[in-house]
Order: sequence, then C-alpha cells, then structure tokens
Amino acid sequence: MKLRRKLLAVFALTVFLCVTTVAWLISYFARRNFEQASERRSAALVERFDREFSSVGSNVARRVESIASGETAVRMAISMNQGPPDYGAYLEDAKTLAQAQQLDFLEFIDEQGTILSSAQWPAKFGYKTTPPGSVSLFFQREDLPDGAVLGLCAMRKVDAGGKPLFVIGGQRIDRQFLVGLELPPGMRALLYENLGAGAAPPHVIDPFGVAPEIGPLAELLEKIRNNPTEQSAVVRWLPDEDDEVVHAMPLVGRGRELLGALLLTDPLRPYLELRRQIRSTSLFIGSGGILLAILLSGWMAARITRPVEQLALAARQVAAGNWNTQVSVGSSDEFAELAQSFNQMTGELLEQQERLIQAERVAAWRELARRLAHELKNPLFPLQLTVENLMRARQQSPEQFEEIFRESASTLLTEIANLKAIVSRFSEFSKMPQPQFQSVQVNEVVQESIRLFQPQLAGASRPPIQCRLELASALELIAADPELLHRALSNLILNAIDAMPTGGTLTLRTREQGDRVYLEVGDTGPELSAEECDHLFTPYYTTKAGGTGLGLAIVQSVVSDHGGRISVRSKPGEGTTFSIELPRNAEKLRTTDVARSTSGSS
Amino acid sequence: MRLTGFPSIVINSVLMTATTVAATRPHYGGTLHVQTAGTVTTLDPADTSQAETLAARNILALMFDTLVVLNERGQPQPGLAISWQAEPGSQRWQFVLRPGVRFSDQAPMTPEDVAASLRRVNPAWKVTSTDTVVVIQLDTASPDLPAELALARNGIVKIESGKAIGTGSFVLSQWDPGKRLSLSARDDYWAGRAFLDSIEIDNGKNFREQAIAFDMGQSQLIEIPPDQTHHATEARQLRTSEPNELVALVFARDAQTPEEAKQRQALALSIDRQTLNRVVLQGGGEPAGSLLPDWLTGDGFLFPVNANLIRAQQLRAEIPQAELWNLGFDVNDPLARVLAERILLNANDAGLRLQLASQGNPDIRLVRVRLLSLDPHVALMELAKSLGISPPRFLGSSADDLYHAESAIMQSQRVIPLLYLRTAWAVSKSVRNMTDGDDGTWRLPETWLAKP
Repeated sequence: MKLRRKLLAVFALTVFLCVTTVAWLISYFARRNFEQASERRSAALVERFDREFSSVGSNVARRVESIASGETAVRMAISMNQGPPDYGAYLEDAKTLAQAQQLDFLEFIDEQGTILSSAQWPAKFGYKTTPPGSVSLFFQREDLPDGAVLGLCAMRKVDAGGKPLFVIGGQRIDRQFLVGLELPPGMRALLYENLGAGAAPPHVIDPFGVAPEIGPLAELLEKIRNNPTEQSAVVRWLPDEDDEVVHAMPLVGRGRELLGALLLTDPLRPYLELRRQIRSTSLFIGSGGILLAILLSGWMAARITRPVEQLALAARQVAAGNWNTQVSVGSSDEFAELAQSFNQMTGELLEQQERLIQAERVAAWRELARRLAHELKNPLFPLQLTVENLMRARQQSPEQFEEIFRESASTLLTEIANLKAIVSRFSEFSKMPQPQFQSVQVNEVVQESIRLFQPQLAGASRPPIQCRLELASALELIAADPELLHRALSNLILNAIDAMPTGGTLTLRTREQGDRVYLEVGDTGPELSAEECDHLFTPYYTTKAGGTGLGLAIVQSVVSDHGGRISVRSKPGEGTTFSIELPRNAEKLRTTDVARSTSGSS
Repeated sequence: MRLTGFPSIVINSVLMTATTVAATRPHYGGTLHVQTAGTVTTLDPADTSQAETLAARNILALMFDTLVVLNERGQPQPGLAISWQAEPGSQRWQFVLRPGVRFSDQAPMTPEDVAASLRRVNPAWKVTSTDTVVVIQLDTASPDLPAELALARNGIVKIESGKAIGTGSFVLSQWDPGKRLSLSARDDYWAGRAFLDSIEIDNGKNFREQAIAFDMGQSQLIEIPPDQTHHATEARQLRTSEPNELVALVFARDAQTPEEAKQRQALALSIDRQTLNRVVLQGGGEPAGSLLPDWLTGDGFLFPVNANLIRAQQLRAEIPQAELWNLGFDVNDPLARVLAERILLNANDAGLRLQLASQGNPDIRLVRVRLLSLDPHVALMELAKSLGISPPRFLGSSADDLYHAESAIMQSQRVIPLLYLRTAWAVSKSVRNMTDGDDGTWRLPETWLAKP
C-alpha cells in the first residue's frame, strides 16, 4: 500500500473513530438522561397511583365506616348476639347498603367468617368466607357467581356484645377502575388479574375490554410473582411496534399473595423518536465530518507524500540509470533536506560515474591497445622474420632467394591475411547490428544451427562428438532476431566443439518457464575455473590458443540486445554449460504479428 | 240549643251506625286503580305467544267469559254454558249455551260464535253447533273437558276487524300495550253490571313503584312478590293465595346416561329447599317435592323435599366426571337470580359444577310456572305443557291416577321441583268485597269501592 493511502487510511480512521466516539457519547448520554427522566416519571406515576389507591381505599374505608356505624349494622350485631342469625332478615341489607354507599362489595360476617349478608352474592348467606383479620384495608379476591374478581376492600368491626360483627366493603378493581384513572397522554393502564384456582386463568385487561397478549409480559409478571414489589420492564407487544416501559404495581392480598397488578405502560416512542433524531443527526454530521475528513486527509496526504513520491520517482530514475535526476526543493522542512541530500547524492553519483567511465574507458583503451598489440604482434613477428629472412637470403644465398622469396611471399601474404582477418573481426565487433525482432521458434533455430555443424560433429578428422537435443515440446514463440540468435548459438556450439578435442557429448536443451525461454548448450569438456568463468564474456578474453576473445562477447551482446541474460556453470566431470534466458518480449511479439498481418493483408 | 245527657248519646249512636252502614253498603261507581309487575301484550286469549302472567289472566277473565268456571274446590260451574253432558266414553260433549248473552259490541253470542272460538284455540277438536248447543268431539276420552274449558285461553272470543271481542263484564276502553289499559263496566252484562265503573291497570311496574303508588293512594290493588310479603303484611291489607306457582329446574333433554341420571339426582338432593323458602322467600312459599301443591292434590307429603347433601355427595362420587351444566334463569327476575345463585352454591357443596347462563340454550332452566287450573288433572296437564315436557298419562280421573301420572313425570328426571310460591296482593281498605280464588285470580265483579 502506498504511503498516501496509508496516511489517508490512518487519517480517515482516526477521524472516523473520533466522530463515532462523539456520536456514541452523545447517544449514550442522551439515552441515559432519557432513562433517568423516564425513571423519575415512572416514580412519580407510581407515587401518584399509590395515592390514587390510597384515596380509593380511604373512600371505601369511609363508606364502610359509615355502614358499620349505621343502624342496620348495629341492629344486625345486636341480633347476632341474641341468638342464631336470621339470614332472611338480612338478605337484602348488604345489597341495599352497598347500593346506597356505591360499593361494589359488601358483606357482613361474623368472627368465624360466616356470611350473614352479602351484596355481591346475596344467596351466599350462611357460607364461610375468609375470616376477618387485623388488616383494615386490603386487596381481596371476591367470588361471584360468574367468577372471581379483584376488589380493594376495607373492614370495620361492630361490637354489640360478645360476638363482633365485621363489615367488609370494597370497590371492584376492573376495567371501569382503569377507565377512571387519569393518565398522562400516551400512557395506558392495564390490569393483571391472578385470582387463583376457580377463577379465570391469569390474564390482562385494558380499559377497552381488550385482553392484550400476556406473552410479552411473562417475564415481568414472573418477577412480581416471585417478588411482589414494584418492578419495571421494557416490553414490545408486536415485532413492528415500539418498545414500552411497563411498570408493575403488585396488588397483594392479606396473606401477601399476589392477586394482581396494575400495569402502567409508558411508551418509549417519543424517546425513541428523539433518539432516532439525535442518531440521524449524529450520523449526518458524522458522515459529513468523515467525508470532509477524508477529503482533507487526501489533501494532507497528497501534500505530505508528494515530495516522497518525487523522491521515489527520482530514485527509480536513478535506478534506471538516469543519474542526473534532480528533485525540486519547494519548502524548508525535512523533505526539503531529504531532497537536497538526494540531489547531492545523484550529483556525486554522476561525478563518480563519469570518473568511472573515464577510468573504464582508459582501461578499455589500454586493454584494446594490449590486445591490438598482442594480436598485431603475432603476425608482425613472422612478417619481420620473413622480411629479415628475405634480406638475409638475398645477401647470403642469392641462388636460393627465389625459392625463399616465394616461400616468404607466401608467408607474408598469409600473415597479412591474418592481419586483415584480425582487423576485420575488430571491425565486425564494432559494427554489431541491432536485432530485427520477429516471431521465432527457438527450437527451429537450435535445429538449424546444429545441422550446420553436423560434419564437424561427425568427426572425420577428429573424434566424433555425440549431439543430444533435449528440446521442449510446444515451445512458445518469442520475439527475436533469428540471425543473431543463430550466430550466438553457433558461437556457443563452436566453443563446445573446441572444448571437446577428444570427443564427448554436446547437449542442446530448451525449456520454458513463465514468460521466458531457456536455451542451454553443454559440453563434456574440461571444466573451467571460477576465474575463467568470471572473465569468459570479457571482450578479447580467450582460453583458446587461436581465439580472439570476441565470440562469447558477441554472444553476450546478442543476448543482452534481446533483453536476456547469459550465464555459465562448470563443474568437474560434468563439463561446462552455457545458459541463455530469453524473454518472450510479448509486446514486441504482438507488434511483430500486427506488422506481419498488416504487410500480409496489404 | 245544645243536647246533653242521654238524648245526645242516642243521637250520636244513631248517626255513627248510619255512617258505618253507608260505608259497608255496596254501591256502583268508581275506578279501581291496579298496578301489576306483569305486562299484557295481547288481548286475545288464544294468543299463546304472550308470557303467562297472573295479571294477563285476570284481565282476560274480566273481558272474556268461558263456557265453564271452576269454583274454589275446582268444580266446574256454569258460565256461558248453563249445562253440559258427556256421552259415554267422555269423547263427545254437548254444552247448552246461556241465552241472551251478548258480546261487548252488542251482538248476540251464537253457538257458532262459540264453536268458532273453540276451534280457533283447539284445532284438534271437532266443534259443531246447533241452535242452542255446542258439540265437542274429541279423539280420546276427556273426562276433564269442562275444567279445561274453564282455562282462560278457552275464553269465548269473536274476532272483528282484528280485534278480540268478548262477553265479559268489562270492555276495553283504552290500551297502551305493555303499559296501561282501561276497562269499563258493561251495563248489559248477562250476570249484571259490576259495581265498579272502570278499572285502570298499569303494567310493568316493579314492586317499589307499586308500593309507592299504593302508599300515596294512587293505586288500590298491587302485586306483592313472594319474597316481599313479610314487608307488606305490616302496613298493608294483604291477600295471599294458596301456593300456586311452581319454581323448578327443567332439564333441556332427558338424561342420556345412567351417570347423568345420578348427577341429576345428586343435584335434586343437594338443594336446600327449606332454606330457600325460609331465607330467600322469607316464608313466602313452600318447599316443593312434587309438581302440584299439596293443597291441590293432598299427596304432596309423598314427595320428599329435604336436602340430603351426604347422599348427593355419594352419588357425585359415583360419577367419574360430572358434566358442567349451564343454569339459565330470567335475568329480569331478581328472585330467580338469588335462587339460581343459591342453587349454584348448594350444587358446589355436592361437588357438582354449575355455572349461571343468562342467555343461550342452557342445560337447565330455572322456571316459574303458575297453576292454570284448580282442577289438578288439568293443572298437571297445563304444567307439563308449560314446562315443555311430555304430557302426563292419566289412567283415570282418580287421585291415585293423578299421583301415578305425577310420579312418572318426576321419575323421568326432567324436572326438579323446588318451591311453590304464593300470589299476594295488597288491597286498599277502600276496596270492598274483593274475593280472590285460591289460584290468585281476582273476583272483581262483586267488588265496590268505599266512598271516601
């Protein structure tokens, strides 16, 4: 990944994290504040409904007190102390008094819980009910002919003798009770009834008579059943509805048994909408911030990395050989110092290169002079001897001069020819042509080249050399100059033949790897030393007595002109193998094919 | 001049005696104001769609005479028929009509009018007429036909322009169906004009409304519910009938299995009738073990009325799984509600499951059925019809036959008798010479109003 992208990623990530953190913090604190506000609101509501229950209870208690202190109750209490109760005389008393006092329930019972008169179930006279306890205000399950209901009841005692009379009156806690509750907008009051065996199964009712599903409340109800204290839970009635906070106020009987619960639902919709608004605003601002941050980060990264990129480009140019590359120094920061140092470095490199070239040039000229001197000295020395021999023969043996002259003339011509050959080779080396690329099947070049050397390999005048071709099948075409390749390969084959004066095996091998083709020429002649291997491709270096030292230099030049490489390895007992690595030059190959097809079509 | 001493005492005594005689002497005139709880929605005796109420029966009796009337002992007496005779086998009867009877529209009552009226009510009868005689031919022997003809629904009616016209002592003068009606005395009534000029009857009044109207002098005759009689006796002149209304549980169908029969038996044994009568009715009725009251048959003691909760629980224990029965009752009848709720408690004590049902088709209905006749055979027949059960089969007209027929119905376990209720009326002291039958019917033609 490039530095600019890295910087961009780091900047963007940093900004993203910052924005996300801020958004989360806003959301978190908003939620926390809302939850606290909701809790305060819930607490206020619970307190309010506690007061409501207290108020209803006080009202009930006052009415029951009024009944207990009335003439009917006193008469009933006196009558009860005077003998067995006359249920018929009281049959309608409870009902009449309950209607007068607007109570839903009213029962007169004795100490054992025997009903003397009942408003809610007049026919229940003489039956037992829960004996009166000491609690004066309580919730109670009231059994009615058509089921059980929940009531908020008050109890008063009427003493008119040894047997006290108890008056228990109450108000029904039901749908009507819910209807009578004043609730803040959006809130609902539900009633959970858990009246036990013989009554309807535990269920929930609302003020409209609809019975909501008890399923979503199951967890909350289980909690208050286990611990009948005020509890809250977040409930979602339907999957596509908003959550509601449900506060449960348990309604417990005299034995602390859970008879029901008042459920106050506080919708979270306003909170959720506000939270959604905050979240969307945060998201919008955050997205904008992140986008802006990315743009700024891009700009910053570009600004920061531009000098680095320039340096990298310059470094690549230097690597490519363009040592006079310079970078601009636009500022005075560390990058500017780096650029100055780079420029200084390339300047020094350039100077060193020039010095090195100059030194190499001198060395080359010296080597050339040495080689020329060496090459020219060899024919010149016979020339000198021949001429001196001629001069001596003219003076000392005129009679043999003619013969000597002819021999000397022949020798002179031969040596002159050698000189011309030497000059010609040097001239040829200096005029190495540029390769003319075309599609070439390397295997064909190999086979054609080896064919030319078959007579030599057969060895009429020397021990035969066995030729082994290990050519890869279906070798891809490459872009190359076949003539130059042929020439280079011929040099290698010739060298191999020369290296095996006593015969041996010449191996020609081709293979393909990736987009490169490998050509190997191996002999089984004597191995080369490491030093010889190092200097083999140096012009005019030769290990042969009559060699010019230009053959392998030419081979290297050809390979190099094709963008390839040549290497040599030599091991004792295995001989020497030259390996040529040639690129397919796909681009040149396509150009060649197009040119060929163009010329073909025209 | 001022009289003193003995002459004064004599004069005062004479004046007081004269005043007392004047107050007790019958005289014509006045309007009797009546209030009833029951309503009258039709004035056609043959229209059986109307719920049978005592008010309706009394009003119809004032407007429509029957061929035969029953006396206090349930014996047939001449009405519009002055005599009757059955041929052997009691399948063919001849009734000689009273001459000179006119309908309230002044038209004379003819035998054909009578025959047409009876055919209308009893399509199965073959009724023919001659100049003075109406002949009724029946498919089966009917020794109690005269008593049956005394039923209100057999009142003689002539339909004119959709209106029912009768021969009764009073004629309809104004009617607001279900609320109020006025009757005027007929001067040309065949048995002589009634003392009262008119009767105004307000229907559909609850006991409280009636009591207020009575106490304020706006009404001279009101209906007292059975459970309120003890209140009425203190301040009002109360007329109570013999127990003439049966309260019973009626099953919708016959018992299907022996277990169900046991369950019905357990239910019958679990109900404490004595407490129901003593507390709920406050003595306003009698526990019932039979369909007909003892005063009518004399064999009531043969049918047990006491609860036996232990036996009921034993029977319940013999039933693997008791059915849950719906108990229906008239929600507009406060007495029925209390009775039903008490029965529910009693049944629960025996381990039976009942639940109250105010609508729909309950398994059991709590019903109140009034005796329609003072003749026990006819009363039982009408009772079975009202309860919707199979009619009794009489082998004869003896008391034994009546008992066996009644026992057969009881053994069918379709009915559980609970209570007999009395009919009670509070009558103002200004109403004189008002007699009422054992079955609670009014005898108003001989009644007059004391002058204020």
